[in-house]
Amino acid sequence: MTGYRPEWISQRSRVQFAELLKVQSKLALREPLALFGGLALPAILLAVFGFIGQANPGTVGSTGLTIIEVWTPTILVLSFIFISVSLPNTLVRDREIGWLRRVSTTPLHPSRLLAAQLVIDLIVAAAAVLILILEAALVFGASLHVQILPFAVSLALSIVELFALGLVLVALVPTQAVAQPIAGVVTFGLMFLSGLWVNPAQVGDPLRTMMYYSPSGAAVRAVLDSAFNGGLSYAGLLTMAVYILIFGFIAIRYFRWE
Amino acid sequence: MSAAPAVTVQNLVKKYGHLVAVDDVSLSIHEGEIFGIIGPNGAGKTTTVECISGLRAPDSGSIIVYGLSPRKDRDKLREFVGVQLQESALPPRIKVREVIRLFASFYSNPLDPDQLLESLGIKQFGNSSFKNLSGGQKQRVSVALALVGNPKLAILDELTTGLDPEARREIWSLIERMKDRGVTVILVTHFMDEAERLCDRLALINHGAVVALDTPEAIAARAGGSRVRFVPSRPVDEQTLRVIPGVDEIERKERYVTVTGTGDLAGSLMNALAAIGVRVSEVEARTGNLEDAFIKLTKDEASSVGKGVQT
Repeated sequence: MTGYRPEWISQRSRVQFAELLKVQSKLALREPLALFGGLALPAILLAVFGFIGQANPGTVGSTGLTIIEVWTPTILVLSFIFISVSLPNTLVRDREIGWLRRVSTTPLHPSRLLAAQLVIDLIVAAAAVLILILEAALVFGASLHVQILPFAVSLALSIVELFALGLVLVALVPTQAVAQPIAGVVTFGLMFLSGLWVNPAQVGDPLRTMMYYSPSGAAVRAVLDSAFNGGLSYAGLLTMAVYILIFGFIAIRYFRWE
Repeated sequence: MSAAPAVTVQNLVKKYGHLVAVDDVSLSIHEGEIFGIIGPNGAGKTTTVECISGLRAPDSGSIIVYGLSPRKDRDKLREFVGVQLQESALPPRIKVREVIRLFASFYSNPLDPDQLLESLGIKQFGNSSFKNLSGGQKQRVSVALALVGNPKLAILDELTTGLDPEARREIWSLIERMKDRGVTVILVTHFMDEAERLCDRLALINHGAVVALDTPEAIAARAGGSRVRFVPSRPVDEQTLRVIPGVDEIERKERYVTVTGTGDLAGSLMNALAAIGVRVSEVEARTGNLEDAFIKLTKDEASSVGKGVQT
């Protein structure tokens, strides 16, 4: 009897969650902001750097890496950034129009909506990793020196950190109208700090330190070291861990369903 | 009809900061009835039903819904209380059948989504996105979402606001069919014709307090608003008229006598005058309706500044 009930609940909540994932995925396909920002745009950007690299063979500064190798981690992180800033666009709207509140009157807790959204975004992020790594290695000849475990940990922390930042925006931004410009500013800042325009290896302090210890710069550093240098960036990983704690705390503390 | 209360609200108080939204509301709702909550904007109607549905925690007072506490037993309550919220939209690109099926999956004993769509007359819009629906269609989807869990209690807030007359009538017949199925309905509205047509009983709320609680007819009758104008065959003195039951005020203008009061004013006037041999002509009678009662009761309330008189 006591063992039966939780099983019944979990079975039913699995059915609920499967239905929810199905509907949310369809919605994600109809509003392909995360798909475009997370997959298409980075794939195109990577190709741009690939062609620049083919026109300019040789290594970048003192890094010992080619252009495509230096920028592949940046563009991976960029994909995570685009996916994460698409979170406020949908979730802030869903809260603003009363959808989350509407769902909270049913037996389904609205946190499951959020969970379904995150699962879908996680799948998009995983697809981005696969597409971009294959594109860099097979199309543009980046030579990978991957340390599998550090690489996986670096990607996981980057995704968690940037998604947490997206949830901070969801928590703090009151309306959809404000969400778009704020997400824009945040995206631009993160893009710059990730080293998209200027590589941190080629600038002096204090900018270099700022970039290295920024949310996106730390992610790029960790991914770069584990994918191309066969190493492990403790500083990058540790920085991300700290950001995850901070963002996680703010997001949980200020999150509202209505 | 069962007289067991489906919902009991006792001394409900809810404040938002210094603003007292609900100030000592008590009411009980019978199983299977359509119970209306009417009142001016900002009277506390929505706050009251939000407390009943468990969306808000009362500051004080008690609420029992089918033997459960809306806050403490919220998980159980969600299974059998269907809620249609005022001004709540769906994601613009979600499709009608999709969202009904999704909501059906949330409940343990849902209605069949396709049958529900059919009975609401929106089956042909099953593949339409929410954003492409008309106001009436959106409201029907909203009602469908409140019903798909096969609730014992449905709470419908401002159901027909913004709808054209035809759509309103369709929604009304829909609610009547819900009642036939034995669903208890709480209907929040500020349309008097809607309340008069649909509700078995009504609570009129003003400034957060119940100022009247009865059948629509009884509220309309008690608050007055009946008016009879006639020309008597010979002059009648005021004292004769004043003792007739239900008469409040008498006014004369040229040949016309206008009497206002409560209840079946025309009937009692005619009988009393016939008894003393006075014939009347050019009779124009108007029975008080809920709207008159509403205006009278909410105006009285406003002049006595805030504090409600419990009925």
